[in-house]
Amino acid sequence: MNKCTDSDIQEMLPDLLHRALVDSERLRVEAHLAACESCQEDLDVLRTVKSAAVFAPVIDVNRVVRQIPPYRAIVPAIERPARTRVVSWLVAASLALVVLGGGSVLLQSPGSPTSNSPRNQQLPNGLAQAPGTIKLTSGEPVAGSRTVVQQSIAPHPHALALAADADGLSDGGLVQLMNDMDGFDALPGSEPDPVISVDSGDSL
Amino acid sequence: MELIDRWRAGDGRAATRLVGRHSQALARFAASAGERDGIEELVQDTFVRAFASLDSFRGASTLRTWLFTIERRLMLDRRRAERRSRETVPVEESDHVSEYGALDGLIAEEAQERVRKSLDALSPTQREVFTLRVQQGLSYKEIAEVVGSTEGAARVHYHNAIKTVKEFLRDE
Repeated sequence: MNKCTDSDIQEMLPDLLHRALVDSERLRVEAHLAACESCQEDLDVLRTVKSAAVFAPVIDVNRVVRQIPPYRAIVPAIERPARTRVVSWLVAASLALVVLGGGSVLLQSPGSPTSNSPRNQQLPNGLAQAPGTIKLTSGEPVAGSRTVVQQSIAPHPHALALAADADGLSDGGLVQLMNDMDGFDALPGSEPDPVISVDSGDSL
Repeated sequence: MELIDRWRAGDGRAATRLVGRHSQALARFAASAGERDGIEELVQDTFVRAFASLDSFRGASTLRTWLFTIERRLMLDRRRAERRSRETVPVEESDHVSEYGALDGLIAEEAQERVRKSLDALSPTQREVFTLRVQQGLSYKEIAEVVGSTEGAARVHYHNAIKTVKEFLRDE
């Protein structure tokens, strides 16, 4: 028996078994089978294999259906605008910088508990205080004062003077302080000379 | 797709019709692919998994083809698990006896026994392609989807398979 070389017909044999061919194709295959022993043998083999698939157990449909969970539609997740990792790090670094900077300013401020300046020191008679500077408007010693700096600095109209306690000032001292503040310029009148060398403690 | 839409809308009878329409084909595919025990559980797991992920089924293939694909993956998982357990647990003599005993009960006819032996002579992929083509009537395109291959490769597997089966049955 010669082997058939018509691969189109061989391809269609399983479809003939399953009645999946249109009429024109079915007629063509049946005409070929009438004259081709090789394809007849193939078709017999296919019939045998198809009919042998009877040992599969019968499935209990209701039992299967009982195991199927009820339908739940998949809700798509809400998409957030993408924030890159770099942006997140920049935001975190900025926040850390603000917190650290603010903390250090608070720690170094005159009213801070850790500051070296005496706190709530009573300085009567127009005793004005600036960071690193204590200014006495009168040279009289203050009785009962715990710490009195013996350094006397001449009044300067540009000195930043802050009253530690306004209640301790006399009327005259308060007027003097306000006059000083009126004459205070926030900016220097002229650009300072550049510092070339530091020879003494007076210069920066 | 109409039955699927009805099931999504809450019609439980649609699920019953879908399972009834495809369950025996899945059972036959499992049996012809070499599964002997737990075919009903396998079919059940296939439907449970399919219904749980029905939203991912777009209708590009037929539902049956999609179900075959799921069932085939479950069979592969099961075989891997069995292989691992065999590596750790020694096989008892009684296991062989019970397996062959159950098989003898299932295959009564001599012709069926011969077909089973001829299918056993095929490689796993050849057997899958051949049974999907002959017993299920799937096209090569659908078979390629199920086994994760190409139409051309499925065609080659089929022709090699029918040649082997024919020779085996002729020599018997």
